[in-house]
Amino acid sequence: MIEAKNLTKIFKKKDGSNLYAVENLSFEANKGEIVVLLGVNGAGKTTTMRMLSTVLKPSSGTAQLEGYNIIEQPQKVRVNLGFLSGDTGLYARLTAREVITYFGRLYDVPDEKILKRIDELTDLLDMHDFLDKKVDLLSTGMKQKVSIARSIIHDPPVMIFDEPTVGLDILTAKNIVEFIHKCKADDKCVLFSTHIMREAERIADKIVMIHEGKILAEGSWEDLKQDTGVRDLDDIFIYYVDRTKQERGSEPQ
Amino acid sequence: MNLNKIFTIYKKELLDLIRDRRTVITSFVLPVILYPLIMIGFSSMMMRQETKLEQETLVVYIHDNLETENSNMIQSEIAELETFQIMNKVPNYLRDTYIDLINEKSIQGLIEISDSLSSSGYQVIDITVFYDETKEKSKLTYRKVKDKLYEIEDKLISERLTRIKINKEILNAVNINNENIAPPEQMVGFALGKFLPYLLIILTISGASVVASDLIAGEKERGTLETILVSGAKRFELVLGKYLTIITISIITVLLNLFSMYISFQHIFKQAAGEDLNFQLPITNFVIILLIMIPLITLFSALLLSLSTFSRNTKEAHSYQMPIMFGAIMLSMVSFLPGFELNFGFSLIPIVNYSLLIRNIMLNSFQLKYLFTIVGITILFDVVMVYISINLFNNESVLFRTSDDKPLKFWGKNKNIFSPQFVTFFFILVTLSLYYVGGSWQAKDLMQGLMRTEIILIFFPTILLLKISKTNIKKTMNLKLNNPVNFLIILLSTLPLIIISGVLSQLINMVYPVSESYLEGLKNVISNQDISLWKNLLIVALLPGICEEVMFRGYIINGFLKQGKWRAIIITGVLFGIMHLDPFRFIPVTLLGIWMGYLLIRTRSLYIPIFAHILNNGFAILLANFGDKIPFLGSSFTEGKIPFYYILPAIVSIYYIIKWLETTNSKVQIDQVLE
Repeated sequence: MIEAKNLTKIFKKKDGSNLYAVENLSFEANKGEIVVLLGVNGAGKTTTMRMLSTVLKPSSGTAQLEGYNIIEQPQKVRVNLGFLSGDTGLYARLTAREVITYFGRLYDVPDEKILKRIDELTDLLDMHDFLDKKVDLLSTGMKQKVSIARSIIHDPPVMIFDEPTVGLDILTAKNIVEFIHKCKADDKCVLFSTHIMREAERIADKIVMIHEGKILAEGSWEDLKQDTGVRDLDDIFIYYVDRTKQERGSEPQ
Repeated sequence: MNLNKIFTIYKKELLDLIRDRRTVITSFVLPVILYPLIMIGFSSMMMRQETKLEQETLVVYIHDNLETENSNMIQSEIAELETFQIMNKVPNYLRDTYIDLINEKSIQGLIEISDSLSSSGYQVIDITVFYDETKEKSKLTYRKVKDKLYEIEDKLISERLTRIKINKEILNAVNINNENIAPPEQMVGFALGKFLPYLLIILTISGASVVASDLIAGEKERGTLETILVSGAKRFELVLGKYLTIITISIITVLLNLFSMYISFQHIFKQAAGEDLNFQLPITNFVIILLIMIPLITLFSALLLSLSTFSRNTKEAHSYQMPIMFGAIMLSMVSFLPGFELNFGFSLIPIVNYSLLIRNIMLNSFQLKYLFTIVGITILFDVVMVYISINLFNNESVLFRTSDDKPLKFWGKNKNIFSPQFVTFFFILVTLSLYYVGGSWQAKDLMQGLMRTEIILIFFPTILLLKISKTNIKKTMNLKLNNPVNFLIILLSTLPLIIISGVLSQLINMVYPVSESYLEGLKNVISNQDISLWKNLLIVALLPGICEEVMFRGYIINGFLKQGKWRAIIITGVLFGIMHLDPFRFIPVTLLGIWMGYLLIRTRSLYIPIFAHILNNGFAILLANFGDKIPFLGSSFTEGKIPFYYILPAIVSIYYIIKWLETTNSKVQIDQVLE
């Protein structure tokens, strides 16, 4: 599971001023649950996920993944985590099998187990035809499957998907969505980020809406509908953005 | 640390690279086919050309003004030369016609024969050969004619001597013999030693740079970096794995190069030396070079790895590699320079040390002492570079450098002539003009050239720039009168400063010896005998004091004040040092520049650094001219032999002078930033 507590990330801008990419973000994601981070581009989704995956260090606040602290035990966190994003590439000159094996070894998976996992994943993702082809020669959909296999080779309890469907056609995107459901069925904790409301609506057990680095609202789709009295997720999102604007506007300067 | 993981990364990177055609070609294929191609192809082509040249007909016109027995003999002897063809005589001989023909390559030479009388009354045959040194055939013609003419001269002298009954042996007073004691291996080493270092250093860098840019910047570009950052490998395991990959590829490149070079040279020298000479290139030297190259390879690898980590993509990495490449090429060329011998000072400078060391190894004359220093210092730099690499790799702002960082622009968006970029740009422009224009002025007439340089290239552009941009010159340059006490303090600071910079120069001279002719030249400037002392003071002290201070402390320092006053002072000082275009004086001049910058900031008046500058240069002139008349100081200055302990009282004096300046000017606002 993931527990984020007051995660904050400040970037220094060129003129020396601070940019709060993420501010006091707290939420939880449990085993067997799909939590969606929903927000427009630049809302702070990627920064949040990079902090959770230990690539960036939080400026303040912290988080725990399977009980491991992201700041103090980054190594433990990474081993328990599978990370997949829409724009991560693969090594074009290696074969699919070599890529998956490479990552398996980086995650300290013993070689016999890597072999077994590759067999399992090849069946699961239907990669028989291209497992020993160079990545360069694969189609986008095939590459996506290799990426999925790469991210889950070590069978982590937590999966983080950073806009994994960006730029994919519906059929390829379907692979991902199916895979996410499979993760849930396997009782994994899934954190998924997207700016597409429909996608969130379809798969989320819980939605965490973020805007300009802060949480707008949090809850299941049903909760949010009830809270706002609006049916459409797009409208729900806009409703929250407007409400926050008004609240901020009424704050004394 | 998990060695297995480092090895996993290493293996994967090697596999990845070996499947990359570019790496395979530049690092493996090129060296193996390049040398045989260049060396053997080139040398055999040259030999073919030479034999071809030997067989070509050489056409010559002979104009004989004498038509005597001897001159006819000379004509016929030349005509008998192999492949020579003599043109038919024409009645109206015009020299220029035939010179034009040589230019057009229609003929290869023109020979005029006339005569004169020597001072003691003997007849001398004057022969002038017109030829074109830049045309192979014409040059060959001259060589052949000259050899023949010496032969004829010898014959004529013998005849003369026989006629007056003197034994020809009388001319043989001195017999000159020489024997080159260098064995052929050493001769080869001497030839190879010049360009081998250069070649090896360039090859190492170019081999490593292709790989290095791909390893991290390439991963950023392809979007794979983030996946390995979230993988189970630690950051430094990733860095070390990649580092080992670069080293491996570079070592293979160097090994292949050396091997291929060895075989090719062996081949060529065998060919040149002929069958009878049992000649062997010294293979041990090649092995030693390969071994000592390893630390240098690791250093380059670490440097290139850092650049690759810093770059956002391979293109950027390549553009950062260019200046490194360029610098390395410049430094490695010292092996070509005669007179540069390896000493302790040079053994501390990266690349230069290797260049000289490899040359010495090829000459069998390297000293272990320097070998250890060089390897030691290289490993030290190496460790520092690896540390920097790992730190860069741990630095998230470097790893995720966003593309909205604007590229460097000389002219900022505010069109501000006080932006650091513009100031630097202006500085570079002025320095280049000093090099290209000022240099030639000074070569023509030193003193007048110096004067024009200071006024036209330094003072005038600065003032013009400020005028055009409608800057308030008086305010910008801090042209305000100052506490007279300051002038007194500056007067007192001059001698200690000259001592300090003099001692520093001597120290530098000890480590990096300066040539005598250089010192002569410097002396000429400050104690010029051709012009009066007053003129000398005017051109070498007063003018630079005003012009250089106007540019540096009047304008340039303002560009850096926003970055803090100390940074501004130091940057301006360093630029001041660079502008003097003299590596041997760089450190003392930079220190003086820093002192002037400090004076400006401390007193907020440009007059103070101007005064200090004039005094400093003026004192140097006076000491050079009259130094020997002053007890204690005297000749030590003119001869560059200031006792080192003089620096202690000098530093103490400067310490108190700074304290005095601080108290005198305590009310001056020094942190104000020019808007």
